[in-house]
Amino acid sequence: MGIFGPKKEKTKPDFSNVKSGGSSTAPEAPPDLAPTPTSGGTYVVAKGDSLSKIAQRHYGKASEWRRIYEANKDVIKDPDLIYPGQQLKIPAAEKA
Amino acid sequence: MHNFRSVSLLLVTCALAGCSRNQSAPPPATQSAVKVASIDLGRAIAADKTVADQTDSFRPADTIYASVKTEGSAASARLSARWTYEGDQVVSESTQSIAPSGPAVTEFHVSKPDGWPEGSYKVEVSLNGAPAGHKEFKVKP
Repeated sequence: MGIFGPKKEKTKPDFSNVKSGGSSTAPEAPPDLAPTPTSGGTYVVAKGDSLSKIAQRHYGKASEWRRIYEANKDVIKDPDLIYPGQQLKIPAAEKA
Repeated sequence: MHNFRSVSLLLVTCALAGCSRNQSAPPPATQSAVKVASIDLGRAIAADKTVADQTDSFRPADTIYASVKTEGSAASARLSARWTYEGDQVVSESTQSIAPSGPAVTEFHVSKPDGWPEGSYKVEVSLNGAPAGHKEFKVKP
């Protein structure tokens, strides 16, 4: 504590209720042709997401959900319960 | 006879040369790669997914649209938009897998029912995981 009292930390705004979406004039790529990322990244959980859906989106396989779960055990207690606004680490896709 | 053989040889050689030239000719020009041509921001989009009123200044109640124009074709391309606040706080991230066969427009949008906090924002667009451009904007009351 300094002579001016405790330093006030600016609280970060809550973006957990942000709604997002999108659309394209191009046709949607078939899921089995969706390219897999070669490098990992982060993903912010949106309403309606599940680990399987996120895995499908990033790896092209819903069955890969466990990889995301394993990488985020510090923030995910129950793999069936993830919350909008949660920031998840997405491990890099395994190279074939 | 000798002349006939020479002429025949010449014809065969010409024919082979012609074939060889055809084989080495470059393939017809095709657009095999997709690239991001532009990113526009606005409060609304038209039916063709383009932004009608480009702006980089929004109000807290606005829905914010990012319209991404791409060129080229691909069986599959992964277009992502990552929205951040004040440099480091992730607001939202979404991805669309598209199969464009020429120029296309893909829109991403975000809204916040209780209003956007005032400040500086950025949307970063990536294509197949590689950065493809970004736009900065502000929200003012």
